[in-house]
Amino acid sequence: MDILIYGTTEISYLIASRLHQQHNITILHDPDELSEKFGSLDARIVEGSGGDLAVLEQIEARKTDLFIACSALDEANIIACWTIKKIADIETICFIGKASLYKNFSSSTHNRYHVRYDIDSIIWPEKLLTKDIFRIISVPEALDVEYLAGGKAKLFEYRIKEDSAMIDTSIMDCKFPKNVLIPGITREGKLFIPKGSTTIHLHDKVFFIGVETALETLAVDFFKHDKKVKNVSIIGGGSVGYMLAEKLERTNKKVKLIEQDPERCEFLADSLKSTLVLQGNGTDLELLESEAIAAADACICTTNNDEKNLLCSLLIKQLGAKRVVTRVENIQNYELFERVGIDVVVSPKASALTEVLNRVQVQNVDVLALIEGGKGEVLRLTIPDTFKELQIKDLKLSANAIIGVIIRGHQVLIPNGDTSLFPQDRLKIFTMKEDSDKIKEFFFR
Amino acid sequence: MKRPLIASALGIVLLAFGGIILLPVIFACIDHEYSETIPFVVASACSLALGFFCRWHGRSARNFDLLRRTEALLIVTLTWVIAAAIGALPYLFFGLNPLDAYFESVSGFTTTGATILTDFSLYPKVFFFWRSLTQWLGGMGIIVLFVAILPQFSVAGRQIFFAEAPGPSEDKITPRIAHTAKALWLIYLLLTVLQILLMTFAGLPFFDALCNSLTTMAAGGFSPHPQSIMGYQNPTITWIVSLFMLLAGANFALQYKFFIKGKFRSLLSNDEFRFYLTIITLFSVLLCFFLFFTQNYTFSASLRDSVFQIISIITTTGFSSADFALWAVPAQAIVFAMMLIGGCAGSAGGGIKVVRILFVGKFLKREIDQIVHPKAILPIKLGGVTVQEDIQRQMLSFMLFYVVLMIFSGLVVTIIEHDAAVGFVGTAATIGNVGPGFGKIGPMGSFGFLHPATKIIFIIDMLVGRLELIPFLAMFCPDFWSLNRN
Repeated sequence: MDILIYGTTEISYLIASRLHQQHNITILHDPDELSEKFGSLDARIVEGSGGDLAVLEQIEARKTDLFIACSALDEANIIACWTIKKIADIETICFIGKASLYKNFSSSTHNRYHVRYDIDSIIWPEKLLTKDIFRIISVPEALDVEYLAGGKAKLFEYRIKEDSAMIDTSIMDCKFPKNVLIPGITREGKLFIPKGSTTIHLHDKVFFIGVETALETLAVDFFKHDKKVKNVSIIGGGSVGYMLAEKLERTNKKVKLIEQDPERCEFLADSLKSTLVLQGNGTDLELLESEAIAAADACICTTNNDEKNLLCSLLIKQLGAKRVVTRVENIQNYELFERVGIDVVVSPKASALTEVLNRVQVQNVDVLALIEGGKGEVLRLTIPDTFKELQIKDLKLSANAIIGVIIRGHQVLIPNGDTSLFPQDRLKIFTMKEDSDKIKEFFFR
Repeated sequence: MKRPLIASALGIVLLAFGGIILLPVIFACIDHEYSETIPFVVASACSLALGFFCRWHGRSARNFDLLRRTEALLIVTLTWVIAAAIGALPYLFFGLNPLDAYFESVSGFTTTGATILTDFSLYPKVFFFWRSLTQWLGGMGIIVLFVAILPQFSVAGRQIFFAEAPGPSEDKITPRIAHTAKALWLIYLLLTVLQILLMTFAGLPFFDALCNSLTTMAAGGFSPHPQSIMGYQNPTITWIVSLFMLLAGANFALQYKFFIKGKFRSLLSNDEFRFYLTIITLFSVLLCFFLFFTQNYTFSASLRDSVFQIISIITTTGFSSADFALWAVPAQAIVFAMMLIGGCAGSAGGGIKVVRILFVGKFLKREIDQIVHPKAILPIKLGGVTVQEDIQRQMLSFMLFYVVLMIFSGLVVTIIEHDAAVGFVGTAATIGNVGPGFGKIGPMGSFGFLHPATKIIFIIDMLVGRLELIPFLAMFCPDFWSLNRN
């Protein structure tokens, strides 16, 4: 696949580094803004503006299959997407960072009157992040939540605590409800795919895949909570904080939002209906204590500064918060955050990357979710017609992977070893990032 | 050059008013009472003569487009004072002394409904028609009427429109002020006609239907019947009047959108209107409860009278379906509480206005919340929109002025009359443009026997209340006058 990426932002590097080994990448960048790390990529790098027809023609943009505009400037991205449409009808992905522009291009009326010159998909990383955070905090205690098969099956991640009945038991011996699988475990920062004989340790982060009702039983039986999330504290009233508060308000949750900038506070207080907007610093211990920020069912740190997020998160954790969700901007900090004990680390870039990867994957396969900051993946693929009926235990997979969900017609199945696979089954496969290509090869050779 | 401008504007108003005052002449002619046309012809002639004089005096100034705010305020205040004076002229011919005539006229134009009459049988029909008509004209606002019908005020109208139209917000239905004024009068007229028809169907003679409808839509309260609505002894009439009083106390701009434009959500989703309905429902139930258990009313009568009386007082109409001055004290207290609230902004009702009460409630709640959350940013929202700082201050100072004036006027009247009930309830009833108070100035009583000084204070209260204090208070500022001179 020929992919043209416009811009040299962090996200364009992430996309390119993820794809440069399987696809032909061309990076187009405005003069004098190329950081060194791009040199390590196996890609063609061209200097020029995305809105410049001459440059686009010169690099034979007409042969490109996908155009991704992710420069730092929204307007430049939009112009670039429009310009390339003049050359040929190429699929365009445009990154946007402003709410007003996003609404302009992604409204439902826009889709209805889609014309040739329109941008095919708009990605606003912060919007995606908001959705992700909202999904995660809606399940109490969970560290990660992903929806599979339109929400009929789900993937939950839980941390194993001291009082858990699962400690030092092998997976085989745990009395899980039916229709629940453990596709992955993260132990000391390393994700691996367990076997039936693997024992679960204290502080492991364990993934569970299953149908909704079974997961609910699991949550009650093993994690001893059936109460719903009622109060949420948010630190940082940027786009994510604002949109998240708005979303939470709509589901009748009590939200407290701390924001430092008085003017932004005015805006937030004016626009939000029931959220309590507090003006102050997220690291102000007195404020955090007097407003009982840590007592909320979930605390979210989503300022635009990684260091500050980390500091806030640790403070809140110290004050006894049950769940802290922290936003990380710089992907390199992801592991660091996890290591110092932040429960859930989320990143707008990871959210955006999942979205982009979905577009790039070969037909019949896409990435549903990135796990642990991209170390694991949930793949969705449809078994081709050439495939012969087979039981899972007889499946000689060339890499570590667990088939989490099978969708056959309208049925959602959680498979075990005896389950047979048929052509046209749609599978959700949990695998490691480095193995995902092998899995694809296995089914589509 | 400023005085000619004001004179010129007043001249136009007086000329137009000279025409309007001839309406009772038509009424009298239809009634074949030709001798009764004389008072109105004379008043009209006075108005026209004064109008021409003002026009002549202000001949150098014909362009109102550059009207200043202070000038607009002065024009509005003078219009009300002079219109009431001209409107009092006919009463002189029916044997009222000048102060009583002016009191009755001001009470009419300001839609107060406080009367100095004691024996209604002394006066002809045309007298009551004129009384009702003054209220109808004053209900929507004389200025709004002139802005609607006189092309000279098409631009300057904005200044004088908002100088008169009550309420803290400037909501216009259409971009052009003259169109807005026309739209408001249209809905006002339509509702009045509808009420006349309904009242006639309900079995009232046309004359009573007409006069009562004119004063209902104006939230006025004058009735040609000495016992007000109670005198008709007809439950259907009571309910019809309740309904139209309810509408008279609601924002006409919203009603225009609701009835004419068909935007049904505009009225029901309005915070103020919903609060208005909530107050009415809540206090009606409370009053109904008191009446049923303490006054030995039947249930239907207590429900009817409580709903009617609550609406009548909160909209500052002042009709009575029962003599509430005879009710037990708890019931009277509820009625008195209603006097302090008043109608919605942009309605025919007077008083403090529901929106300000709502605002003050939210303001106080905010203060309490702020103690619990000292760092919280807590905007005050009305209808989902944050109230701007300057409007907040305006509303609070209005409340303060209102209370200060009420206490001051109440004390002075109490000293004059040796009666605190007359002093304070009377002040609340006149400054809020309600009409009847308790005791001897109750719905079946009269203001006629009060001391002349009290009457003058009440006249000022009524005018000040109708013009929402601001134009009145502005005149106490020395700069107001010096600015007008040069």
